[in-house]
Parts: sequence; structure tokens; C-alpha cells
Amino acid sequence: MSTQTQAIVQGFKEELQAMSDLAKNFASKELFGKTEVNDHYPFGELFTDTINNAGDIGFYAVNLPAEYDGIGMGDSALASILEKISMADASMAGIIFTNAAAIEIINQASLNTNCEAVYKMLCAKEALPLAFSSFTGIGEMEMPVADKKGKISGRINFLVLGGISKYAVVPAADSTQGNKISYYLLDLNEKGIEKSEPVYSLGLHASPGVDIFLEDVPATLIGKAGEGEKYFHAMQSHLSVGAAAISLGILKGSFMEALQYTKDRFQGGRQIIDWSEVRMLLANMAIEALVGQSALASVCNDLENGTAGWEKTARAVAIHLSDMACRATVDGVQLLGGNGYMKDYGQEKRMRDAGQAHCLLGMVPVRKMDLIEMIIKESQ
Amino acid sequence: MGKIRLTRRERIKYLSQDPKITEVINSLAARYKVPKSKEINKQIDTVVALARKFNEEVVKPAYKQIDLEVSKDNDYLCWDFIKKANEWGFYTLFIPKMFGGTGMNLVGMYPFVEEIASVCVGLANVIGVHYLGFATLCASWNIRVMNEICREVKQGEKTGNPCLISLAITEPGAGTDVEETMLIDKGKIETIARKVEGGYIVNGNKVFISNGHVSTWHMLICYADKTKPSENTLMLAVKNGMKGFSFGHHEKKMGQKACVASELIFEECFVPDKYVAADSHVLPENAAKSAKEVAQTMIDYVVSSTRAGVAAFAIGAARGAYETALDYARKKTVNGTLLINHQWAQSMLAEMYKNVNMGRAAYMESAYANAMHGLVKTLFLKPIYYWELYFPSWYFSMFSPVFNLKIMTWLFRWMNFEKYPQESAEIQSGWASLTKFGCTDIGIINSRMALELMGIDGCRHDIGAEKYYRDAKLLQIYEGTNQLNRMNLFKNLVGRNMPEVEVF
Repeated sequence: MSTQTQAIVQGFKEELQAMSDLAKNFASKELFGKTEVNDHYPFGELFTDTINNAGDIGFYAVNLPAEYDGIGMGDSALASILEKISMADASMAGIIFTNAAAIEIINQASLNTNCEAVYKMLCAKEALPLAFSSFTGIGEMEMPVADKKGKISGRINFLVLGGISKYAVVPAADSTQGNKISYYLLDLNEKGIEKSEPVYSLGLHASPGVDIFLEDVPATLIGKAGEGEKYFHAMQSHLSVGAAAISLGILKGSFMEALQYTKDRFQGGRQIIDWSEVRMLLANMAIEALVGQSALASVCNDLENGTAGWEKTARAVAIHLSDMACRATVDGVQLLGGNGYMKDYGQEKRMRDAGQAHCLLGMVPVRKMDLIEMIIKESQ
Repeated sequence: MGKIRLTRRERIKYLSQDPKITEVINSLAARYKVPKSKEINKQIDTVVALARKFNEEVVKPAYKQIDLEVSKDNDYLCWDFIKKANEWGFYTLFIPKMFGGTGMNLVGMYPFVEEIASVCVGLANVIGVHYLGFATLCASWNIRVMNEICREVKQGEKTGNPCLISLAITEPGAGTDVEETMLIDKGKIETIARKVEGGYIVNGNKVFISNGHVSTWHMLICYADKTKPSENTLMLAVKNGMKGFSFGHHEKKMGQKACVASELIFEECFVPDKYVAADSHVLPENAAKSAKEVAQTMIDYVVSSTRAGVAAFAIGAARGAYETALDYARKKTVNGTLLINHQWAQSMLAEMYKNVNMGRAAYMESAYANAMHGLVKTLFLKPIYYWELYFPSWYFSMFSPVFNLKIMTWLFRWMNFEKYPQESAEIQSGWASLTKFGCTDIGIINSRMALELMGIDGCRHDIGAEKYYRDAKLLQIYEGTNQLNRMNLFKNLVGRNMPEVEVF
């Protein structure tokens, strides 16, 4: 490696470290010790100040191009932030992820179309975070329809941040393109939009979704009409790294709390960590955390270096890490016994959050089918 | 038929090896050991049909809202439901007629609670945990106290004021420890009973007590000597209103929110002698069993009948998750095709269906093991069984003063403590643990599969799948964690004839 390249790589590593430290400090200041209260939404207050503070720090601009007031960093930086935030409260990570997914649709569209008008809308005050259907693949979605004038009618279920954001990035079956999918930027304050109450769900309570009902709502086309599926699949590859990072953060948080508790708790006259069966459960969690960490680092490396096939690896890592997080967080509750099941401790929330994060970017079986489809096509 | 190359001696030799056939096919053995199997099946059919009707009319219209209400306000108690179940006679349904109950056979209780749990595990637990309290009371074999409390439950049914029974055993510093006499002496036990004139004074706290705030009677497990609790275990019947007894906070649970988990506080609480249901010194000094063994036997009697109940809850959750996923798959389109027509989805649904049915087969095995070897074995002795079956309730009401005689308690304790074979203890305890951890793991597996099949829709509260996941998790923890149950199975069924084996 030349000296110049080494300097670039070193600089990149330092930037990543800086983002990671920023996220860790933010989590420490804004999230730790408040998760139970924040998780009570929608029956308690939404942590609006924290959401705004995350914006002030720049967490919603990580993958926004620098020329549009963004930070212009890539998926590795995003993953680094999401992992650290998720260790404290995955709901906040869910908000950052949703916004990043929406921005990535625009980024993909901008590769072959001028999206300056759309980007400039995002520079307005309080434009971010964006709302997006971060849990639903386009093959599963109840799709609204866009007419010849670009007005959208129909229903979108579980639009994440739909109840609090100014804008949403939404797909619609474009009637001018034989019902192929196009993406649109929607102003959520437009007439003709009805929003449900926040949908109460398994986890990520403070990253809430709403169902929205649209009747002839004007929207701004993003990129080329009819290219929505392409943008979605590209976004899915990129944001798989982010989804993996959220699962990893939850898993690590669960392991660390279980490790500490088993040292503090006594049963049968000894610390429960001294029972070998307890150690075995901890060992399984540790293995999953270490393997997950290694896999995520590897795919970030592949992505940054443009290694061929990084998209498949990213998708595989996201699916596998979310499986591991679901399994491990069930044990994370188990290791705390009855206390693990109670909201006073962090483990039950992690189990719920891992279960919901498992659905990020679409149903897992469909994502698996998509992945094997990619591999089969390449082998032919 | 050709010649069978097996001598009588060989037959005995091979059948005496582990696993003993009569221990692993309990339902088959029950056909000739338990009387009138046809009548038992008829009663099981009746209670299952009753549970399904109750689900349609009461549980399904209310369960999601109850879960939401507790999520909003953790102190919410589902009194409407509790009273409804009382109206339907569910708190006396499985109490023997001799104690004022309806007398449905206890083997039927397991499929009954599975039915309710297939809609809502929490509401199934509200009913089921009352029978946990009842089982604890029965494990004392104090016929006088059993008769008095059970008849109060019946009275509560008549007056419309539910009279539930809870089990108060878990302490802040002792969860797993209180379920094993091998562990309890090393545990941090704090609920201590001091003998005074006319009774006991109790001080301490109990936590995670299911149905605490909504029960009238609480079967309190406490200890007369903190230094050797295993040999000084007491079971006291504490009633609401007794001096020094109060309720503390409601626990903030992830699931099974309909069933409150309470803190019970004992501050110089006086319990009169007449409500000392049992202590581990019930047998004379020269008895075959020591005080510690009696305490373990009492614990085993309780958990061996209730762990199969937890297994039934879990299969209910597994089934509910499967049925919800199936219903969803029949309506949802994915990539242009109905989800149910994707082969991978069919495979997942088949897997879930298999899990439910294998789990049910397992917990019914445990139910029959209990019928032949456990707490309810006495009810299946032919004279008692036919007495219960054919004599009317009014007869037992007239007869019940006989249960106050000390000889009745002495007789049942002699049968169920002194004469209780070790082999029976191993079978009922081992099987109960097997089905408990086996079926509760299935509950998590199926509820996870439902979420995977349904994506984000599975995570929505209004659709109902995610609730099974939250509810199922507690089943792996209470009635002894699954880890403790694995050790218990190992102790009773795997390592029992291996002198080199050490457990705990």
C-alpha cells in the first residue's frame, strides 16, 4: 500500500472511530438509564428532545451527500453508530436507520437522475428524520397507486416515523409505467392524508409506525419513474449492514447485562456464574457476539473496498445476525431468571427489540429467497 | 403367529432395563391402571368444549384490550374476567366433589388450560395458577384445611365474589433455591416464621407471586429456622385481612400481563395454628422419611402436577401462534402469490403443527404419570374414584365434617408421605420436568416462527401474533427455570441408578 493510500485508510479509520465515540457518548448521555421510560411510548411521552438532539449531532445526515449539508459518509460509519446506539436503546437506532434507508433510496436514484430538487427539500429545517417503511419489502407491501398526475391514493401500513416526520419516502404502483413501482417524496402535512394512532408493536416502541391513508395526495417523484424496485433492492443491500449492526448492538447489550448479573446474583450458595450450565449459556451468547462482530467488520471492509459480491455478504450477515440476536436475547432474559422478564431490567426490551429488528428490510424468508435468487443468477 | 423366542425370565430381565416401558408410555399403562378410562375421556371432551365456548364468548372479545390496559397502567387488574371465570365455575371445576367442587378429573385440566392459552396465556394463567395454589394446599394432605378452603372457593362461586388461592414461595434472594431442598440451605431465605402461643409470627417478603393481588388465600411457604430451612419448612394458609399481611407492588412484566405478579409483605403477620397446613415434621420421628425428604416430597407433589400445566400453557401458546400464522398466510399475498401457497411457508406451518402435536402428546404423558404416581393418584384409587363419580355433591357436603377428624389427615399423610415409593417420585417428577422444558421451548420456537412468517405484521399488537412470543417466554422461567428442570430430569430419570453421579 502506498503512503498516500495508507494515509487515506488511516484517516478513514479515525473518522469511523470518531463516529463510534460520538455515538457512544450520545448513548451514555441521552439513553442509558432512560430506556424504560422511553419504551413506555405510546402510553408515555415520546423522547422528542433526544430525537432532536440526534439530528443536531448529525446522525440523520450520515449518508446524505456533503453538498446537501450531509456528512457524506458511507454504510460503515452508519453501522458503527447504529451498533453503539443499539447497545443502549435500539429504538433510537431504529429512527436513524429508517431515515438512512429513505435517504439511500434518493442516493440510488441520484446515480442516474438529477435529484437536486429532492435533496434541497431535505435541507429545510426539521426535514429530517424521514419516514419510511423500513420493515416491509416491496413484494409484501400493500401498494398505493400513483395516477398520471403523480397523485397517490391508497394505504401504507406501518410507516415508521409517519406520525412525527415532515416527509416520507414512499413507493407507489405507477399507472404511467404499467404499475411498475416508483418512489416519491411525500409531504406528510398535505391534505388528503389520514394517519392512525401509533401502532403498538412488539419492540422499538419509541421508533413508532403509523398506518396512513392517502387520497389524491400530490408527491414529488424521486429518480426515474418505474425504477423503484431497482432502488429498493440497492437500498436493501446497503442498509443490510445497518440492520446487522442494530442486531449486533442488541445482542452485545444483552450479553453484557447477563454477564454482570450472573456475577452479582447468588443461588445455591454461590454466584450463579459459577454454575457451568450458566457459563454454557453465556458462552453461546459470547460466541454469537464475537462471530457477529467479526462478520460485520468483514462486510464493512468488503463494502468500503468495493469487493465483488459484497451485496450478498451484507444480506447474509444481516439475516444471520438478526437470527443470532433473537436466539441470544431469549437466553439473555433466561439468565436473569424472573428479573429478566421484568421491565426494571433491560433484557426483556432487548428480546422484543431483537424480534422486531429481525423484520427490518422485509420478511426474512423472502430476503432469503432473494439472496438465493441472486446466487443462482450469478452461477448461471 | 410364529414362535416367540423369549423366555419368561428373559422378558423380566429386558423389561427391567432403562427405559422402563411402563414409565415412558404412561398413557398406555393408564388404560389398565386408571379406572373407567371412557368416563375420563368423556370428562376431557366436556372441559375442552367448555373452554372453547368460554374462549368464544369471553376470552377472545377481551384479551387484547386487557393486555393493552395493563401496558398503559401496570396496576390494572382484570376483575371482570376473574368474575366471569367464577360465574362459569372454573375455580371449582377441578376441585374434587368431596371438597365441594365439580369434580372433573384432573387429567382433563391440562387440555382445558391449553384451550384457554391458545387464545391468551395470561388469562389461562389466571385460572391455572389458582390450581397451583390448590395443588400446594393438597400437597400438605391436611384434609381439614383443604376442605375448609375449597368450600370457601365454592362459596365464592355462589356469592359472585371469587375466592382464589395463590402460592407464595419465591423470595427476592431465592428463586431457583426454593424449589430444591439440595439448594435451599445455601440460599438467601428471608421469610421466617417464629413459633408463638397459638400460632406463628411471620416476617419477610414474597415476590413474583402470580395472582397475588386477586387471591383470597395464599399458601405461604416459609421457614422456622433460617440456618436449616430444608428441615424446617412450613406451609401456612394466609388469608387477606390477617394482621400483618399486606400487598406490595405489581411487577412490570413483558407478557402474561393479565395475570398480576405481586409482592406479598409479611410484617409480624400472625397465622393461627389452625392454618398451619403442614410442616416438614408431619411424620413421627421414626418415620421412613426425614423432615427434609418430606419437604422435598411436598415440593415435588406440587411442581409435578403444575409443571405439566405449564407445558399445556406452552402448547396453547404454540398452537395459538400457529393458528394465527395460518390464518394470516391464507389471506396475505407475497410476491404475487398467496403466502400459504409458497412451499417454504407450507413447510414452516407443517413444522409448527408437528411441534404442537408432539408437545401435546408429551404433556398428556406427564398428566397420566401424575394420575398413576403423583398428587392426584389418590383420586384414581378405585374406591375413591367411584365414590367421587357416583355420589352427588350434597352427600359430600353432609359427609364433610368427617374431614375435620385428625385421623383423616393422618391416613392421607401415611399414604402419601410415609408410603410413597421413591420410584413413583422419580417418574412423576422426571416426566413433569421433561414436558415442562420440552414444551416451553416449543412455545418459543413456534411463536418465533409465526413472527418470521408474518414479518412486521406479526409484530403488530392488533394482529395478535407477537403476544404469544412475549407470553411464552415466562413459561421457560417460572415453575423452575428450564435449566433447573433439566437438572431435575437428569436426577430423576437419567442418573438415578448411577452411584457416581452428583447433581447440584
